[in-house]
Amino acid sequence: MTTPHDAALRVRGLTKHYVVHEKEPGLLGSLKSFVNRRSRTVEAVRGVNLDLARGEMVGFLGPNGAGKTTTLKMLSGLLHPTSGEVDVLGFEPRRRHADFLRSITLVMGQKQQLLWDLPALDSFLVNQAIYEIDDADFKRTMREYDEVLDLSGILRKQVRKLSLGERMKCELAAALLHRPRVLFLDEPTIGLDVNMQVRIREFVREYNRREDATVILTSHYMADVTALCERIVVIDAGRVVFDGDLGALVERSSPYKTVKLQLASPASTERLARHGEVVSHDGLGVELNMPRAEVGERAARLLTDLDVADLTVEDPPIETVIGRLFGAERAPEHA
Amino acid sequence: MWLFLANSLSAQLEYRANFVGSVLASFGEVAVGLLGLVLFFGASDRLGGWTFPQAALVLGFFMLAESFISVLLQPNLNRIAEQVRLGTMDFNLLKPVDAQFLVSTRQVNVFRLSDAVVGLLVIGWAAPRLPDLTWGGALLAALLFASALVMVYSVWFMLSTTAFWFVKVQNVTELFNGVFSAGRFPAAAFPAWVRTALTFVVPVAFVTTVPAEAALGRLDAGLALWSPVVALALLAASRLFWTFALRSYTSASS
Repeated sequence: MTTPHDAALRVRGLTKHYVVHEKEPGLLGSLKSFVNRRSRTVEAVRGVNLDLARGEMVGFLGPNGAGKTTTLKMLSGLLHPTSGEVDVLGFEPRRRHADFLRSITLVMGQKQQLLWDLPALDSFLVNQAIYEIDDADFKRTMREYDEVLDLSGILRKQVRKLSLGERMKCELAAALLHRPRVLFLDEPTIGLDVNMQVRIREFVREYNRREDATVILTSHYMADVTALCERIVVIDAGRVVFDGDLGALVERSSPYKTVKLQLASPASTERLARHGEVVSHDGLGVELNMPRAEVGERAARLLTDLDVADLTVEDPPIETVIGRLFGAERAPEHA
Repeated sequence: MWLFLANSLSAQLEYRANFVGSVLASFGEVAVGLLGLVLFFGASDRLGGWTFPQAALVLGFFMLAESFISVLLQPNLNRIAEQVRLGTMDFNLLKPVDAQFLVSTRQVNVFRLSDAVVGLLVIGWAAPRLPDLTWGGALLAALLFASALVMVYSVWFMLSTTAFWFVKVQNVTELFNGVFSAGRFPAAAFPAWVRTALTFVVPVAFVTTVPAEAALGRLDAGLALWSPVVALALLAASRLFWTFALRSYTSASS
């Protein structure tokens, strides 16, 4: 398999089926399932195609259980795909070639690799040995990461005594010590406060810029994805349902724009409804949804018809867009 | 490797009370083994045809093997199941070094090295009291003992690797532990059926009695040389089994 030199990742028809055991709740159910296990095949990922260029940052969005993490685990070689082709930097991940493992990293917000009872620095030194990083490079890297992540105060504290945010900073630095060219970040900011989220985001952006690294990011916080990634891949029920830039996603999945009005004098809801779908009407504050294509024309008509003090046109919040997208994509399956 | 050793040591030093406890446990273990033998030989001067120094040699080998198991095998191989259950096995598989090596050496229970020291002391005490002991015999014993340790590792590693399917397998290793403690005494001390089981079902006799027999020149050298062959075969089998297990690794979800 060959890859063009600017391509970092190529995925074709990636599929993963799990066999899971089902268990009824309660002790009796446990006994029953101990004697006679009922199993069921779950199609976690069904035919994912994806191409990433070098230096590209992509955000994976999707509800829980959509197959994002499973996909990342297959891309990093942890799981063997049921079928399909994966090529990352010219390697087949499931072979877990040492050179491949040296050029990637997987950060999981919910799992930690740092040694629990020791200061983070000890884990760093273990990684230095494992990845065979020489002392000069190690020091340089630590200095760089320290600048953005501000690690100096926390490296010598035992990991179990660190706060969640401090631990995540160390996790991230430990996972990037060997300067990987491809980063798989699975919810790296989960459970962190806003400041810490911003810190982590800055660090990832800086790393991407400096190393021209390819990044795949999954997150439950839209802000992570919108702040870092121009390109969004939406995964739902194991399939890619959208792949493109954020603007196109909003446009495609939300044909409406929201117009916010501040009225100078009150108007009846009926009168407002002539101009668009009334989302809220609270005294002088009004929110209307209008078809995207007609916003200009309708807003002009509205301004002559009503006594308007202020008017702003906004895209609906990205959360709403995503929510609607999943609703829409799922609807045919349930019908 | 040295880094793992240092790390384990400092991790264990973190919990001072636990450290003291585990050193005491080592000495307790030794005392129990010696006491057992002293009691036996207080009543008679032969145990299944073995004299006291000869039986002490078996005990010495047992303590060495015990030390190998508690220093290296137990902490690492029991952790395999734990890591599969929690999903942190992921990190071992992501590292650009051999994952089997990594999971087998990551943790070292340094304090149980005291078992090895005591084992060597016991052997050192017994050796000058054994007229049959030859240099060739001792060399053969060392080879057999090393092979036996490789066998124990391979079997135990394969048992632990089943965690990839069954997730919790701690009890399997408990079973191994229970049977293994029989290796403290010469196999001849047991009834015939137990002896057969200890030789062929769980090869405990190979670990302690057989090397001791070799040291005493009681063993046919040609037969003994099969031991390293079997050990290497088992090691290769554990390797294949591991590779096979990784294919069905499902990784705990996040």
